[in-house]
Amino acid sequence: MADETFLTDDFLRQLVNVGEVDILIGLPTHNNAKTIGSIVQTIQGGILRWFPRERAVIINADGGSHDGTPELITGVSIDDVRRDANLHALRTLHSISTRYGNSPIETVALRTILAAAELLQAKACVVMSPECSIESDSISKLLRPIRGDGFDFVTPIYRRHKFEGLLITNLIYPMTRALYGLRIREPYTRDFGFSGNFASDFLAQQSWDGGSNESGIELRLTLAAIAGHRRICQTFLGDREHIEHRGADLVPALRQTVGTLFSAMDADFKLWSATNGSQSVTTEGPDHEVLMEPLRINRKRLREMFASGVAELAGVFQQILSPPTLAELQRIASLNEAEFHYPADLWVRTVYEFAASYRKSVISRDHIIQSLAPLFRGRALTFLVENRNAAAEEIESNIESLCIEFERQKPFLVQMWKARE
Amino acid sequence: MKDLIISELSQALHDLQIAFAHYLPRLIVMLILAFVGWAIAYAARMILRSILRFIHFDRLSENAGASQLLAKAALPPASEVVSRFVFWIMLLGFILLGVNVLGILGLQEQVGKFFFFLPRLFVALFIVFVGLLAATFFARAALLAAVNANIPSPKVISLAVRSIIIVFVLSIAFEELGIAEQTMLVAFGIAFGALMLGLAIAFGIGGRELAQSFLERRFVRAKKEENEDELSPL
Amino acid sequence: MPLNQDVLWYKDAIIYQVHVRTFNDSNGDGIGDFVGLEQKLPYLQELGINAIWLMPFFPSPLRDDGYDIADYHSVHSSYGTLEDFRKLLDSAHERGIRVIIEMVLNHTSDQHPWFQESRSSRDNPRRDWYVWSDTDNRYKGTRIIFLDTEKSNWAWDPVSRSYYWHRFFSHQPDLNYDNPAVREQMWEVMRFWLEMGVDAFRLDAVPYLVEREGTNCENLPETHAVLKELRRRLDEQFPGRMLLAEANQWPADLRPYFGDGDEFHMAFHFPLMPRMFMGVKLEDRKPIIEILQQTPEIPPTCQWSLFLRNHDELTLEMVTDMERDYMYDSYAGDKTMRLNLGIRRRLAPLLENDRRRIELMNGMLMSLPGTPIIYYGDEIGMGDNINLGDRNGVRTPMQWSGGWNGGFSTAEPDRLYAPLIQNPVYGYPAVNVVAQVGSEHSLLHWMRRIIDVRKSNVVFGRGSIEFLHPPNHRILAYVRRLGNEVVLVVNNLSGAAQAVELDLRGYKGHIPIEMSGKNIFPRVGDLPYLLTLGPYQFFWFRLRRI
Repeated sequence: MADETFLTDDFLRQLVNVGEVDILIGLPTHNNAKTIGSIVQTIQGGILRWFPRERAVIINADGGSHDGTPELITGVSIDDVRRDANLHALRTLHSISTRYGNSPIETVALRTILAAAELLQAKACVVMSPECSIESDSISKLLRPIRGDGFDFVTPIYRRHKFEGLLITNLIYPMTRALYGLRIREPYTRDFGFSGNFASDFLAQQSWDGGSNESGIELRLTLAAIAGHRRICQTFLGDREHIEHRGADLVPALRQTVGTLFSAMDADFKLWSATNGSQSVTTEGPDHEVLMEPLRINRKRLREMFASGVAELAGVFQQILSPPTLAELQRIASLNEAEFHYPADLWVRTVYEFAASYRKSVISRDHIIQSLAPLFRGRALTFLVENRNAAAEEIESNIESLCIEFERQKPFLVQMWKARE
Repeated sequence: MKDLIISELSQALHDLQIAFAHYLPRLIVMLILAFVGWAIAYAARMILRSILRFIHFDRLSENAGASQLLAKAALPPASEVVSRFVFWIMLLGFILLGVNVLGILGLQEQVGKFFFFLPRLFVALFIVFVGLLAATFFARAALLAAVNANIPSPKVISLAVRSIIIVFVLSIAFEELGIAEQTMLVAFGIAFGALMLGLAIAFGIGGRELAQSFLERRFVRAKKEENEDELSPL
Repeated sequence: MPLNQDVLWYKDAIIYQVHVRTFNDSNGDGIGDFVGLEQKLPYLQELGINAIWLMPFFPSPLRDDGYDIADYHSVHSSYGTLEDFRKLLDSAHERGIRVIIEMVLNHTSDQHPWFQESRSSRDNPRRDWYVWSDTDNRYKGTRIIFLDTEKSNWAWDPVSRSYYWHRFFSHQPDLNYDNPAVREQMWEVMRFWLEMGVDAFRLDAVPYLVEREGTNCENLPETHAVLKELRRRLDEQFPGRMLLAEANQWPADLRPYFGDGDEFHMAFHFPLMPRMFMGVKLEDRKPIIEILQQTPEIPPTCQWSLFLRNHDELTLEMVTDMERDYMYDSYAGDKTMRLNLGIRRRLAPLLENDRRRIELMNGMLMSLPGTPIIYYGDEIGMGDNINLGDRNGVRTPMQWSGGWNGGFSTAEPDRLYAPLIQNPVYGYPAVNVVAQVGSEHSLLHWMRRIIDVRKSNVVFGRGSIEFLHPPNHRILAYVRRLGNEVVLVVNNLSGAAQAVELDLRGYKGHIPIEMSGKNIFPRVGDLPYLLTLGPYQFFWFRLRRI
């Protein structure tokens, strides 16, 4: 049973009033007043259109907004939605909100939503990030596999720019695929669907004390779904438009993704060490689509940051990497821009050695993650250069090759893991 | 005459016997204490060594940079050093206890002072050790942050952080030991102040542009370079 | 017990709808009659009924269940004589029970002598009593009501070789209300019955009295003028009698039929009924509150008439397509139960014989603003027989006992006008009046008690209504108020126990007294008033300030 003492009395009272539901939509927010009104209307319209007979509720977990975001959510009148779209509302549709803290913490927001899902006995749930615009049928696409086909976890696939999300395409996706054996395109995602059953289990199994658990909960959810042998599928959601451009901060991103993945590898060792190869996952719609607009990237800066990183952090790398790997990296760092190339096999070896060092905590784990940043930039640069003029299929095939390389070197990782036991 | 000498001698001998008999038990006790102390100290050393190995003390001291220092001084690894140190301290302690038993006044006072000094010595050593750990950690943290934020001369910054912390820690340790307290404090004050002034001048004059762009990056989020698109890694 | 002399007696009435044919057979011919009904008046009186509404009993070819009248001044021989009817009237009045009868103004049977005369030739004095035309092009665009059977509102008469107008079946020609003679005659018909002692008329099909070119021929001002005239005469000559309108329209369209208190006294609130069923199925008060909030204010002397079921199908005309689909899927999964955009089932089978739900629905019927109408047999939870075609499944003989023919008739079972319900759950051996009278916890006893409570407080029939909106949408709560009398009604529409916090700040200091057990509940204070309700449970509280 969930630990509900972190839910406020007022929120519990609101949950009592909502009662049992079939569908739950979770909205974690922090100062999203500009966009949240239309997002909620789209969600309500989606529910009225595709799930008119289901009991539904929108739960907003707010991390201390100052701009009235929660009031906007609870104030959206369903009559506006009805009028605009000529839809009829058979049932009461609840929208409730709770403030879980004074600053946004994804882990607490998700925990709040999961606890609400368990208490309301929700059969199918969706979490949507208010930072991206959503299509009116996104709700339906995420819920239908759970409601209709009995899936436990649904991840989205977006139509993205070919060079967006390089951390995912060059590290998280291939490594998760190689380790856990499932080809989930977006293992780290802020929009997803899950069954009430899975929510209860995750809530119970996860240790929710603070510390290193403060970030990356979304990836942890995906890994828990795989480790728990849940039925997983992917669904194509179309464009993913960032409404608010949060900074492209690499280090926090690394913490949330790579840090989480490395931590999870400890607990899941038995599972991933026994997995061979990878399988595809049921997918609704295309499994990848890219936008091909040309972008202007500052390649020089990337190369410089890689080179300076390798030079300045040599002392740190000595503790993390094996001497041959480090020597290779130093050699590449000395190449000029035209010759620069961070090959896939070296990248995979780098990542795996990092993982092994992370496990052993050769130095502070957070420092290990931070020190990966300049190396990733080098890899990103190589990817950008290789695919500069490539068509979509070629890019996809390059990513696929990288995935194969991760899978190919996996035994080496297992060996390193066991050796350091 | 002969009788006088004989009676004085036997008296002296008798006194000596008495004195000897007076101190002999204490001497024996002292020897026993020393022997027992040696045994206990030896056992303690073994136990401590196991404990330290168990908590990976060697790795910790490696992180602290202490191991490197020991290696340079051709000393054995940290756990070994610590356990031996504890052995000798304990042995010394027991011997001094024994000396105390002898009841020689002047010595007793010194022994008392020694035991009084001992905890502070441990504390000072502990502070230094922890300080070394912290210095390494924060120096590395500063290095990584500087590298990832593309600030020039990250190693310098890292070294500066390490130095400040070490100096700070040493001054606290000396204060704890009660050795040259004021000197150390003042020395630290001067060093720290000078460093800060130097940094301020550097920022103010030499690093003007650097400071400007650094601040812009921190506080003005929306700024983008004109000829560059921003990519999200996720 | 003398009749209640209050001119607004209908606001306090508990109406019992019954067809003479179905109730009690006194002469063993298999068909219920007036004498039989009279014999059962004590039963109705004990139930707490103070008004009965009789389905049409006029002479008629019975091609539309008696709504095709062939003689306005007599009764059908199967049910007895006019004298029998008079005796029934008097007996009822003695017991304080008023009698409401049907009056079909809009049309007659084509077997009626008036029509026979009218069609005989174009020069006949009664020619103009009906609406004739040489072509069928007039009043184009008027909708056809019985879509399943009629193709046009005009029918060709071979006798007079012209078309006549009929809004209903082709054997029910419409009377021509533009003819003063017709209006005079129909008033005379009404007066005939009023003089006999009838207390009220349910006027059938009133929107269609008058036709005009270029309109939809419904709800026209001329129609209202005719009705107002009838009402004026009624008030003049027979004060205290009542007119009840049958007009299956949205409440807003129904409002004109109340006029300024100078037209109908009462009208059926059709759209509310399916929404009560929907609310219980959805476990959500939304449909019920919405329709009542859309219901307009009516003049203070007027009254809505509420009902759960009646002789017709549970009509789903006044709901959206989505709601109709939902009702079909929820209540009539078997398609044979569906008829004419409705569901032809009785109350108990619709609610799956769930005693709690039956009580809840009746509780709402008795506490929402309006005069309740109980369909005969629903007070004991009678079942239906879908295999009897059309709507006959809900018109089976009343089940009085577990004996011969359920105590309805001494005739041979084959001779009954319709077979009795036989199945083990609803059959007459299981569900009958005798058995329920004998058991104190039967539905019949419960109905007696709740009618009693309802009648004990005038606020139900005459008070205002104010809805509360607790966040728990499964709770339907409202306050009825009349002067200083305040009653709080809280209904749990869900099959699971519920907790609800009510905002009763306006009633701070009042003590809720539960109305059936008369126990006091904690006084209303500053905090929201917490109540917990079991599955489908409801409370009626009198809020007393001492």
